[in-house]
Amino acid sequence: MIEPGRKVITGNHAVSYGAALARAQVIAAYPITPQTQIVELLADFCAEGVLDAKFIKVESEHSAMAACIGASATGARAFTATSAHGLALMHEMLHWAAGARLPIVMANVNRAMGAPWSIWTDQNDSLSQRDVGWLQFYCESNQEALDTVIQAYKVAEKVSLPAMLVLDAFFLSHTSEPVEIPPQELVDQYLPPYRPPLSLDVEDPRAFGGITMPSEYMELRYKIQRAMEEALEVARAADLEYREVFGRGYGLVEPFMLEDAELALVTSGTVTSTARLVVRELRSQGLPVGLLKIRLFRPFPTEEVRRHLAQVEKIAVIDRNIGFGHGGIFAQEVKSALYNLGLDGGPRPAVFGFIAGLGGRDLTPELIKEIIDYTRERDRPESELIWKGVKL
Amino acid sequence: MGTDLHELREESSPFPIRGTMPSRELLLPGHVACPGCGAALAMRYVLKALGERTIVVLPACCWTIIAGAFPYSALKVPVFHTAFETAASAASGVRAALEVTGQEDVTVLAWAGDGGTFDIGLQALSGAAERNDDILYVCYDNEAYMNTGIQRSSATPLKAWTTTTPEKHPKDEPKKDMMAIMAAHRIPYAATASPAYPEDLVRKVKRAKATRGTKFIHIICPCPPGWKASSELSVKLARLAVQTKVFPLYEVEDGVKYTINLEPEGLPVKEYLRLQGRFRHLTEEDIELIQRTVDLEWERLVAKARDSR
Amino acid sequence: MGANASEGERAQLELEVPKRPDEPVVFRSEKEMPPMAVSLGTTLVNKTGSWRYLRPVYNPKLPPCNRACPVGNDIQGFIALILKGKFREAWELLRLTNPFPGITGRVCHHPCELGCNRRQFDEPVAIRLLERLAADEGYRGDFREPVIEKRAERVAIVGSGPAGLSCAHFLALKGYRVTVFEAEAKPGGMLRLGIPEYRLPREVLDREISLVEALGVEIRTGVRIESLEELEGFDAIFLATGLTRSRELKIPGITAEGVLQGLEFLKKVNLGESVRLGKRVAVIGGMNTAIEAARVALRLGARPTVIYRRTRAEMPAIADEIEAAEEEGIEFRFLEAPVEVITADGRIHGVRLVKMELGEPDESGRQRPVPIPGSEFELEVDNLILAVGEEADLSFLPEGVKFNKLEEGRILRLEGAGLKAPVFAGGDLATGAGTVVDAIASGRRAAEAIDYLFRKVEEGPKRRPKTVPFTKINTDYFEHRPRIKGPVLPVSERIKSFKEVELGLTPEEGRREAERCFSCGRCNQCDNCLAFCPDVAISRHGDEYEIDYDYCKGCGICAHECPRWVIDLVEEGK
Repeated sequence: MIEPGRKVITGNHAVSYGAALARAQVIAAYPITPQTQIVELLADFCAEGVLDAKFIKVESEHSAMAACIGASATGARAFTATSAHGLALMHEMLHWAAGARLPIVMANVNRAMGAPWSIWTDQNDSLSQRDVGWLQFYCESNQEALDTVIQAYKVAEKVSLPAMLVLDAFFLSHTSEPVEIPPQELVDQYLPPYRPPLSLDVEDPRAFGGITMPSEYMELRYKIQRAMEEALEVARAADLEYREVFGRGYGLVEPFMLEDAELALVTSGTVTSTARLVVRELRSQGLPVGLLKIRLFRPFPTEEVRRHLAQVEKIAVIDRNIGFGHGGIFAQEVKSALYNLGLDGGPRPAVFGFIAGLGGRDLTPELIKEIIDYTRERDRPESELIWKGVKL
Repeated sequence: MGTDLHELREESSPFPIRGTMPSRELLLPGHVACPGCGAALAMRYVLKALGERTIVVLPACCWTIIAGAFPYSALKVPVFHTAFETAASAASGVRAALEVTGQEDVTVLAWAGDGGTFDIGLQALSGAAERNDDILYVCYDNEAYMNTGIQRSSATPLKAWTTTTPEKHPKDEPKKDMMAIMAAHRIPYAATASPAYPEDLVRKVKRAKATRGTKFIHIICPCPPGWKASSELSVKLARLAVQTKVFPLYEVEDGVKYTINLEPEGLPVKEYLRLQGRFRHLTEEDIELIQRTVDLEWERLVAKARDSR
Repeated sequence: MGANASEGERAQLELEVPKRPDEPVVFRSEKEMPPMAVSLGTTLVNKTGSWRYLRPVYNPKLPPCNRACPVGNDIQGFIALILKGKFREAWELLRLTNPFPGITGRVCHHPCELGCNRRQFDEPVAIRLLERLAADEGYRGDFREPVIEKRAERVAIVGSGPAGLSCAHFLALKGYRVTVFEAEAKPGGMLRLGIPEYRLPREVLDREISLVEALGVEIRTGVRIESLEELEGFDAIFLATGLTRSRELKIPGITAEGVLQGLEFLKKVNLGESVRLGKRVAVIGGMNTAIEAARVALRLGARPTVIYRRTRAEMPAIADEIEAAEEEGIEFRFLEAPVEVITADGRIHGVRLVKMELGEPDESGRQRPVPIPGSEFELEVDNLILAVGEEADLSFLPEGVKFNKLEEGRILRLEGAGLKAPVFAGGDLATGAGTVVDAIASGRRAAEAIDYLFRKVEEGPKRRPKTVPFTKINTDYFEHRPRIKGPVLPVSERIKSFKEVELGLTPEEGRREAERCFSCGRCNQCDNCLAFCPDVAISRHGDEYEIDYDYCKGCGICAHECPRWVIDLVEEGK
């Protein structure tokens, strides 16, 4: 049994606590910097009997996801964690998990992709997986990471889709913060045991995942999309319930000083914390600046984004990632959410997309102020992506 | 809910088949294996030996298709289709889940072709074997990537034709010794089998079922279109492979104790090769080379068996 | 349902469920579909029988032993019964075609074993010994005479040898009133007079004949028919008098004392009369009579020598007989023939022989023996027994009678004035075949022909199935095993008496030998077809197999792995 209480722990360990409290039953994981502490603590929990789970020390991430899939299909709550290349190696199986409608929860520590090697934070790894059918939650703090593991299971098991929570390498994974570890009984109350309606069962034998003809496949894809859409409502409700039970909630997005803002920053992950500082400071100077934190990226919270950003004149999206050949991914998503609002003379905020902080480069308050200044000084962006903090 | 599979024809005979084999059928007709498919026969026997408390983990291979398209199944046991290289890893996950949810006495059967075992699936199999995960891994070996149209794998025998080793450039490398690889992992039980010797196959599967840990069974499965042999000869070829010592029947315990199950009289390999179009381009030298190789490997096997007594 | 599923979740899934396992699943909307690809029905919906262009069919065939047997015994059938320990049933099966398996099981020349496919694998099945076992075991216990509705017609049979008795048996089974006339004091013909007791014990012979009488057949012994007019009042006549006259050897001195005719010699001994023989006895001839005479002479204390004008390979006697004689130490001399009996005081004391060599073939296809000039020599002998052939005694037939061959050549129909009732002839009298089983076949054929005359209902033409050649046997399923050697008395005991030489098989030995039978062309439920079908399309019900043609893809494995060619692959649509 996990001891509740307030502890100062790293983001990685917060994830471990989350998974243990969620009573993960099968954990299959492969070590990769900077995820290793997640699985190390879970291994300890298992060894000490604090967590009653089977820990499979797989020989690669691809096998980790395959093992989670096998376990989840057999009716067990499955958990894994990875990062960057490990996530990329799992790519094939991420598709498989979503198509098989298995509510696996995975923590991905955002880390830059090689070549060349880098171990520092960057969102390209998780965003490369945005179309596979997994829910994606971007966490800002260690507390949020712990809480999101539990919420993720709740949502995932309701809509039968896998979910990943994402946390920044080193800034969260290896940074200690005070974290409230909730009591197991409350978690059990909030998150009942996993009971899938269909699973691998010798009493009721069926074949799962058989080859599907064009005449049937599309409906199954339709169902996944419908489940994603349903997940928006389910995630909202789950977060609200979490707030009731544990006293903490995060929403799908979080507006910060956004009422009557003329310029809105859009951020995700730890950049949000830095951005809050800047926004507070500029507001105290009278600037009508605000911030929208995007927490749930998949399914994309279009409604919330529209609601919060439609009336803003300018939007500055900070992407700690880049979709090569196009631009920052959050910027693209925001633009696409807002575009049709502008039909028939509706609101048309200008969206400025900034690329910053790749490969763990520091994203400082000064840099964010530069971004705000740049945006304030122009009616429209000079190009669709603007590099910030790069030696050009 | 769903089709009550217990209504379906259960026993194909009022007596044990050939006097000793279970008559309960867990493979249904209507599956889409080619006529004369050795792999279909292999599955039929393995499931007879394992019974209905079996979960099949099925990666990409001929059996992906044979098993039937959604929403139909050809097996009366649960089946989990999974990606090509993940038979062993998905099976490990299934086993872990069975243990943690308290489901006792269920066999986890990973059922993969030679491609998914010798090549792309080798890593996952090695991982599971090294961890000694409690799964029964059966490789049904038709000696090429048959499902995708007869391309060579590392299980393709020396000199065989495939679409990627055409007659002017047949396979130059010998068949990978998968049993040696599994023995090197020191798993509790590994064995070869042939559908022409069904009683031996059933005995080995039952033995594997009663063993805890990773078990590996390698079954030679003739493939009429891939081997370019008449469909009626599949059982005969599976027998000749054993009788010519191309595919000896033996067991390995804990990776070190070798037991040869059958000492064939030793027909010349020519008897086996001449029935298959994939070997029709062989010269006399080729056949002699193959014969020498077979004889040498047999001697090595005999030595291993002798040394482990 | 998933073992972990909750009630609410189960109810949520309103899945389309087929009522029968081979019913298709039809989705009219995505709401009827499960959230992921999961099976709701089975592949039974897919009738793969449509793929087929060759269809396997169970088509039993004729085993070569059945075909080779002159009476068409169901040899495979009776052996299969012995395998199951069903000796009475085996015996009854044999008796459908052969009334005397106890006799043929001892004396038959077993052409079945020559045809036996096992011969080409290792050694033929010991069929004759198995037939004897079936008869000796099957006769034990309860035996009820069948109740047969009697007909009005009366049939006379002249001669109570195997042909006559066989005809009597089959006619009696059909209800005819049969009277057999036998000139000798006891019935049996050659079975009693020609075959010695050490080959055919009297109690076995008497037992087999008693079964014929049990059917209501009247056997009148000691009645020699001198002319057909004695048989007036019978509706049909069957002549089965056999070959009772010894052929003469026209050489000087042949009438001397001490020169015996083989048939008469055997008859005397077999009837229990005493015959005085010297030590050195020469038997001339190569047929069964010669060998019998030699073996009998041996038991009477002589040292017989068999002299034959051709070689051992050409000897027409049954191979078993020749071997037995050799085991008993009887000397054989080949390529020699007598030219003169050397006498003294009207009594034989030697024989002059000439050496022969084989020249051009004669009408029998065998090389004609030709004397070598100047090679004559003499042997001292006390007796000479001649066994150079037998002939029929036709003195009782009216003048001008013609013999017409009937089909299959086993019987003849007599034509001529003075014949009031239909007259048939069979056995050695008609065919000269010289074997017991051919005589039995002939007798049965005659019974059928007579029956056809009166009932005019012939059993329809029998479509003969194909005979199974050795090439169609899948020898992968058999291991070499030598044929059983039927136990025999040791030679030292044999030659001292007329005790039966062959001891016969025990039931366990018989069963083991029966295992060697391939069961050519006849299913013996080995299960191979069922076991090796990749499509699970063959099922077994009792002893029958059924192919589900809805699913059979026609791969042909069943036909190929059937060890005994029961399954044929025929083109679809033909």
